[in-house]
Amino acid sequence: MICVVGATSAVAQAAIRDWAARGDELVLFGRNAAELERIAADARVRGAVGVAVHAGEITSIAFIEAAVATLPITQQALVAHGSLTDAARGMEDLRYLAEQFNVNFISGCAWTQCLANKMATQGSGSIAVISSVAGERGRYSNFAYGSAKAGLTAFCDGLRARMLARGVHVITVKPGSIDTPMTASMKKGLLFASAESVAKGIVRALDQQRDVVYLPRYWQLIMTIVRAIPERVAKRLKW
Amino acid sequence: MTPLSLDQPWGRGLSATHEHLFADGDALPTKNFLPRGLGRSYGDVCVNDGGALLHSFRRDRLISFDEVHGVLRCEAGASLADIAQVMVPRGWFPSVVPGTRYVTVGGAIANDVHGKNHHIAGTFGRSVQSIKLRRSDTGAREIGTTDPTFGATVAGLGLTGLIEEATLQLGVLPGPGIAQDTTVFGGAGNIDDYVSLDEASSAWPYTVGWIDTLDPGLRGVFFRGEHCDGPDEWLAPQPAKFTMPVDAPGWVLGRWSAKAFNSVYYRAQSMRTARRETVPLWQFFFPLDAVTAWNRVYGKRGFVQYQFVVPREAARESVPKILSHLRESRVASYLAVIKSFAAIASPGLMSFPMPGVTVALDVPGPNDADRRALDRADAMVADVGGRVYAAKDARMSSVMFKRFYPQWEALEAARDPAICSSFWRRVTR
Ligand SMILES: Cc1cc2nc3c(=O)[nH]c(=O)nc-3n(C[C@H](O)[C@H](O)[C@H](O)COP(=O)(O)OP(=O)(O)OC[C@H]3O[C@@H](n4cnc5c(N)ncnc54)[C@H](O)[C@@H]3O)c2cc1C
Repeated sequence: MICVVGATSAVAQAAIRDWAARGDELVLFGRNAAELERIAADARVRGAVGVAVHAGEITSIAFIEAAVATLPITQQALVAHGSLTDAARGMEDLRYLAEQFNVNFISGCAWTQCLANKMATQGSGSIAVISSVAGERGRYSNFAYGSAKAGLTAFCDGLRARMLARGVHVITVKPGSIDTPMTASMKKGLLFASAESVAKGIVRALDQQRDVVYLPRYWQLIMTIVRAIPERVAKRLKW
Repeated sequence: MTPLSLDQPWGRGLSATHEHLFADGDALPTKNFLPRGLGRSYGDVCVNDGGALLHSFRRDRLISFDEVHGVLRCEAGASLADIAQVMVPRGWFPSVVPGTRYVTVGGAIANDVHGKNHHIAGTFGRSVQSIKLRRSDTGAREIGTTDPTFGATVAGLGLTGLIEEATLQLGVLPGPGIAQDTTVFGGAGNIDDYVSLDEASSAWPYTVGWIDTLDPGLRGVFFRGEHCDGPDEWLAPQPAKFTMPVDAPGWVLGRWSAKAFNSVYYRAQSMRTARRETVPLWQFFFPLDAVTAWNRVYGKRGFVQYQFVVPREAARESVPKILSHLRESRVASYLAVIKSFAAIASPGLMSFPMPGVTVALDVPGPNDADRRALDRADAMVADVGGRVYAAKDARMSSVMFKRFYPQWEALEAARDPAICSSFWRRVTR
């Protein structure tokens, strides 16, 4: 069984289709009940053997604990929820900023930890967590989002070490820019990848139990360069 | 599936600015928008310059499938590519497919598209059992085939509302292969050979001809096919082998390169030793899909496709006449497709097919002279009671449009007041 958190995100939906096509069993979590039902129906038509959905406030710790407690044996999980934070708004509106950290960082860690604990009792399992290349350096345009993802990345990296001996595998997924409805209005460069191709990378990373994956892979090189830019230059860039 | 461009139609070359909206299952915009699929229409039926486009390609979920009867319910943004990929291994295939699989169900309904099996199956709309249509004024409603709104919505060019879901009857598929048979025809400057071949092939489910419009003899190649079994590798399409990375240089547009291409193509076809072969269905139905962004072949100036149909009685005389007019006017073309439509009623008020012969030819970067020649061809088509296909058009005059589709006012009456397209503004002026 594969568990998906944030199942309505474009990347999660694409991954769900791949899993459905190979006949997997799925449990989907998300906020929007009607959308979840549609995604489940789609997965069933495409060949998933069983699909269960649970809608709720996925950032609530009570919901997370209750949800994970009901899961049957779970071999793989994808933690995919997130929100592209508007950095400028966060500078004015601290409540918004805190909510965004809750979505992008705190609840991501809580799901990952809770799923990891459950898999530890099974003695095996793999969790892919969608972080972002944005977490590798705080930048002018998206540091609020990036800092939450930086936290999530560090959490996953540490948890991976902790869970190693208990048979649980944590994968940090770092996508670059993804071409989704969220980004459709942006001016697109060549570096935008489709949600489908990123999802394929995630499905593969889970099967191969990778540690850290950049999707598409060339982002690893790009981020090496981005990290190498000296701060006295970087602080002047509006990027 | 995502469109190649959110603004441009397949034929490119139009300048249009849009606000982009994405269908999300809730209320519709209340002013000036146009539903859009994958933008595979050649011209401005999928363009709404100065207004909004309501993109539905993300509303692409399959909702339910009746494995016994082959009845699929899906969201209208689902592409035929996706549906075929899921259904071929289970032994089902869309009842009608156009020459590319990268079209949405909504787009296929709104243009009431036809395929190589028109003489057996009619148009795509005939396989539609029910539509969930949302209007900006009256909200969402399920409409069946007997509802008057059904006839206005099929081939309704997106104007009657947003198609949100549809129920489709799929066809049974015995296997992923097509047994194809190829014959050369023509040379005498008429289409008599073609017509006899076509009549003799009426039992074949798929027939289509390729005709060299640059050759005064009107030579051509006739293809007919039927479903058959094939190896398991054919169950899924080969990923596109090649992407046109940049726009082709201007000379590719030229008449001489078209002529050379056509000769080489014809010779290759006529010299092939195996006239009968089995090919993957993907290759038979969607040869152009093997090259992503194939429309860049024609360069930045873009192109239109000129597709007309003339009634059966008039075809033998008027098709050669129209083609020689276009040849003499130097309207260059690589690929011209010829196909006969049968007397199978289309469910749409504005559907393009009529019993007769249709020809579709690419016209790269039409200049003023080309446009005049096409206007003249329009008149020749109208004079014999034929019509030109809106899905491929970016240029026909409103006078001609109203002659081709005298019933257009019924669609105007059924139009959602908040919806319009550049095409509709142009032809109803
Ligand atoms: C290579 C190629 C080969 C082709 N071969 C054929 C062929 O053999 N036969 C044929 O008939 N056509 C053919 N076509 C044309 C194509 O099938 C049609 O233009 C088709 O309608 C495109 O679908 P789309 O999803 O891209 O829709 P778009 O081009 O985006 O839109 C087409 C129309 O549908 C409306 N529409 C789209 N979605 C919705 C919705 N959800 N609700 C309401 N209205 C909607 C739009 O408003 C517009 O009027 C071909 C096109 C190409 C590029």
